[in-house]
Amino acid sequence: MLTQAAETFRSLAPNGVDWSSIAPEIALGVWALYVLLREAFRKPGSRGAATFTTIFLLLFSLLCVRNAFAIPAGASASFFGGMIEQSRTTELLRAFFLFSGFLTTLLGGTLLKKQGVPQAEFDVLILLATAGLMLLAQVRDFILLFVALETMSISMYVLVAYIRHSASSLEAGIKYLTQSGLSSALLLAGIALLFGAAGNTALPGACADPFSFRELRVFIFLNQGNAFVLGGAALVLCGLFFKIAAVPFQIWVGDVYQGAPTPVTAYLGVASKAAGFVLLVNVVTGPLLPLRGVLLPLLSAVAILTILFGNLAALGQQNVKRLMGLSGIAHAGYLLMGVCAAMALNVDWPIVAVYFYLFTYLLASYAIFGVMSVLSGEDDSAQTLNDYAGLMKRDSFLGGILAVSLGSLAGIPPMAGFVAKLFLFIAAFTAHLYWLAAVGLFGVVVSIYYYFNWMRVAVFVPCKTEDEVEAGTLKAAPIASGFWLRTVLTTLALITVCLGFWQGFLAL
Amino acid sequence: MHAIALNHYLIVAALLFATGFAGVLVRRNLIIVLMCLELMLNAANIALVAFARFNATPEHPLMDGNAFVFFVITVAAAEVAVGLAIVVALYRRRSTVMTDDLTALKK
Amino acid sequence: MDTSCTCPFTHVGSAVLFASVAVPLICAALLYLGSVPKMVAKVMAAIGFTVPLVLALYLCTQFADAVKISGYAFYSDASLGLPAAGISLKLGLNGIALPLFAMAAIVSFAAGIYAIAGNQDRQQLYLALLLTMAGGVLGLFASIDIFFFYFFHELALIPTFIMIGIWGGTARRVAAIEMTIYLTLGAMLVLAGLVALYVGSGIATFDFITLRDYLAANPLSLVTQKWVYGLLLIGFGVLVSLFPFHTWAPRGYANAPASAAMLHAGVLKKFGLYGLIQIAAPLLPDGVGQWTNLLVVLALGNILVIGFITMAQKDLRYMLGYSSVMHMGYAFLGIATMGVLGLSGAVIMMFAHGLTIAALFLMADCVEKRAGTTEMASFGGMAHETPVLAALFSAAIFASVGLPGFANFWGELSIFTAVFNMNHLVGALAVLGIIISAIYGLRASAALFFGSRSAAYEKRIAANGKPADLTFAEKLPILVLLGALMFVGFWPRSISDSINAEMSAKYPAAPVQQVVPSAAASLSQDGDVALSGERKF
Repeated sequence: MLTQAAETFRSLAPNGVDWSSIAPEIALGVWALYVLLREAFRKPGSRGAATFTTIFLLLFSLLCVRNAFAIPAGASASFFGGMIEQSRTTELLRAFFLFSGFLTTLLGGTLLKKQGVPQAEFDVLILLATAGLMLLAQVRDFILLFVALETMSISMYVLVAYIRHSASSLEAGIKYLTQSGLSSALLLAGIALLFGAAGNTALPGACADPFSFRELRVFIFLNQGNAFVLGGAALVLCGLFFKIAAVPFQIWVGDVYQGAPTPVTAYLGVASKAAGFVLLVNVVTGPLLPLRGVLLPLLSAVAILTILFGNLAALGQQNVKRLMGLSGIAHAGYLLMGVCAAMALNVDWPIVAVYFYLFTYLLASYAIFGVMSVLSGEDDSAQTLNDYAGLMKRDSFLGGILAVSLGSLAGIPPMAGFVAKLFLFIAAFTAHLYWLAAVGLFGVVVSIYYYFNWMRVAVFVPCKTEDEVEAGTLKAAPIASGFWLRTVLTTLALITVCLGFWQGFLAL
Repeated sequence: MHAIALNHYLIVAALLFATGFAGVLVRRNLIIVLMCLELMLNAANIALVAFARFNATPEHPLMDGNAFVFFVITVAAAEVAVGLAIVVALYRRRSTVMTDDLTALKK
Repeated sequence: MDTSCTCPFTHVGSAVLFASVAVPLICAALLYLGSVPKMVAKVMAAIGFTVPLVLALYLCTQFADAVKISGYAFYSDASLGLPAAGISLKLGLNGIALPLFAMAAIVSFAAGIYAIAGNQDRQQLYLALLLTMAGGVLGLFASIDIFFFYFFHELALIPTFIMIGIWGGTARRVAAIEMTIYLTLGAMLVLAGLVALYVGSGIATFDFITLRDYLAANPLSLVTQKWVYGLLLIGFGVLVSLFPFHTWAPRGYANAPASAAMLHAGVLKKFGLYGLIQIAAPLLPDGVGQWTNLLVVLALGNILVIGFITMAQKDLRYMLGYSSVMHMGYAFLGIATMGVLGLSGAVIMMFAHGLTIAALFLMADCVEKRAGTTEMASFGGMAHETPVLAALFSAAIFASVGLPGFANFWGELSIFTAVFNMNHLVGALAVLGIIISAIYGLRASAALFFGSRSAAYEKRIAANGKPADLTFAEKLPILVLLGALMFVGFWPRSISDSINAEMSAKYPAAPVQQVVPSAAASLSQDGDVALSGERKF
């Protein structure tokens, strides 16, 4: 059946186009349409397709991991005239985005029920956003980059504003839309400038296809001082900085993270940020690599400011979603350190370190956001540290998950986060980025303070009494969570600990 | 009399882009902010089409630039549709479309 | 790990070493997993604390004849993690590590027995955390791989914060947070230094043996050595409470539960000194000299400034906290001399101080249990009621002052001799420290146990009756600690031989050492200080 469909696709294809190469993305789109139709014709009271969507995403993710290891290391293949390039890394990134989509729908199942909003459209949007993200992992062309990025972004606008009876969710949605729209416009302008310069036959090395990463790289190498090239590169980077929330494009983070439904916050903080980093890595080690002399100081400065801003802004934060958002900025700073090292050294292993860090960040963040969705009351934008008082005593399972995950984010051995940070610092040292590494270490010390403060509240502060619960000061007292959610949270925490001991599969 | 050259298109595009950029940053009315976003995207469209037209040679027709513009128009339409939908929903709850009044999310 | 197809163990000793690190960690893991009856938890903890002690003593007897691989006995290499990144779990003991490993096992045992006999609330968690600390400190002295050296330190450090936060004294919140920030900062500086070594060497490995052999043939440039050593010195310095980075220590220890204070002040804190002696100085020999002057000044700050502050303390716990900061100054001075004599003295000092301060913190807790306070002014004449406690406390104070008969004596004597040879003035100032510690130590002993009763003490007796003397569960750990001190005090060659042999191998730059037997060894033979012929710096 599937092979037949693949055959049909192949027969439709013009030269050099192999639809089967993006079969997973197509399947996600088809499934999304199916879920929409099923929802439209569903009898009230009957079950939706939510469970299947979740399982579908998990299975697909595992399938991509299997495929990844079937591809020999170092091999890569191009499709659609070089628009898409596939290798083991891109296959693993696909699995990464599918896995985060899986976790998001799972958390969505927990939270949306409490909020009293339907889940089918939520799942559809997650499926579409995930398809966009998966394409982003493989793009080698600016047209597809823009289209895939916007597929993801527009789905995200709706997802952030998904709880339409909540003013804070809508506010977050419109704020995200205007600021993300602004960054998209900057990115587009940058692409236009690069296109204009690279297509100019008067310049040496003019490209036949000025959107292709490979051709652009040659052109930029030959025209490093061209004003259009420099301006275009700067604008493209501005657009990407927004996605990873690097200073000075981090203003949206606090409000949007706080207002968005918790699973969407997680998706935004992990998958969208990861996509930004994948693009950034592919752009700065691809077409923009010849501009290294200019970009390296720029990126280093951005990384330093990002680390400092993220950590200092998170210091006094009481709202936990804002805290995660602001500390996420700091993590983006550490990751930028790895990107700088990859650019300075022009080798692959710092990139592997960046992706490994992103994976450990996914594990820890989703576990924490999972605990948050369990604990959240009707208004999940108003969760503060006080709601975690005595969590260890109230529910030691959730407390334990929180402890492991916060430890990993703070970079405490034996959690995976420590090893991931260590690799990034080794990369920075190897690339002689000493100031960057020093600021990074300072940032880690500061981050210990607020992560430990969270744990301190969960462990040492006594939980509020029953009277206070009845008086309405404590939100959502009963802690109930499903078996599957608990299983998944346990798995995430276990992987976090195991990766702290064993990282032998990494090709460092 | 001079013929209209690439630079003229680029100047128009730059002016439009700057207007849009300033509008997004300065204006407080959400509807106008959305319009300014469109302005920026369309400024980029003008630049793309102009580059595609003036850089094209018989050997390099550069149709990619024109094709890209259609994608951007689609994206812009989707973006503004979502934006307006959110603004309408927000107006129903808060009876305002001014950014200064969006204060549900505070530190 | 030990069942992997290529057995990492070369012979029995390496399996024993591996087991002595693994057993406490396994026991801890079991206790974390689920709630068990109190008795079961206690038995498991007892196993977790006793087995390493027995195994460590066995290893001590086997060390002299053991097969040495690259200078390490009981070598094992269990590759987990990243062989490509130069990280693998290599365990082994050399002459410096052996006595400290034994000390860690002894203090863990003492702290463990005391914790098992005590009745903390949530005792299972308490024991599990303490077992984690024990596994961590044993692992750090047994690690050859620098990555795991750091890893085990952090593994032991985190439970310290938690234990202070949960079971600590009145100022526990502040103490726990302050200690966390300070020690994390120190650990990060150390990490930066170690990563700089890893990267700077150019061979990308954390394996100490490979690094040592490679850097001996291809030393780093002087500038690199200077800055990397500086980074490590400050980082380790913060962890060992080098003046002026000591402020976390007194409050932290004063508020820590007894067992945590024993393990941290006694063993874990030695991580920094151990790192300087075992790793930093041998790998960066030219960087050391650049910092000697600064280190000497700071170490004198530890001895004199902190010494005077210690004298001014009114609370027994704070006094012990400050005194442990002060005594680190001697060890730093020993390191500053960079000669076999001074460094060996520093290691003996670390060994002796670990046992002494553990005994003192334990007894301070016994005092507090009986009186509800450690305010020294509210005691007096307690020796009548608790003669055994008074005797043991005074003995421990004598040890900490450095009276002959205790291991501390040999450590301090070697250090003073080496320092005096380096610079007479510094030596003279350092010896002042003996007087200072004698003053505050004996004054504390006198204030608590001798003289006439204070009014507060009379009132307490009237209200609660007379305090009881030490129970067996309190006596046993104290006797073990003091016994080990006296054993080495009367037979210093039991540890100094292996230390000296290792030091001579590590610092071969001092040919004089080959001619004149180093002082610690010769002292034990004829009881006289071999002053002449020592290397001058």
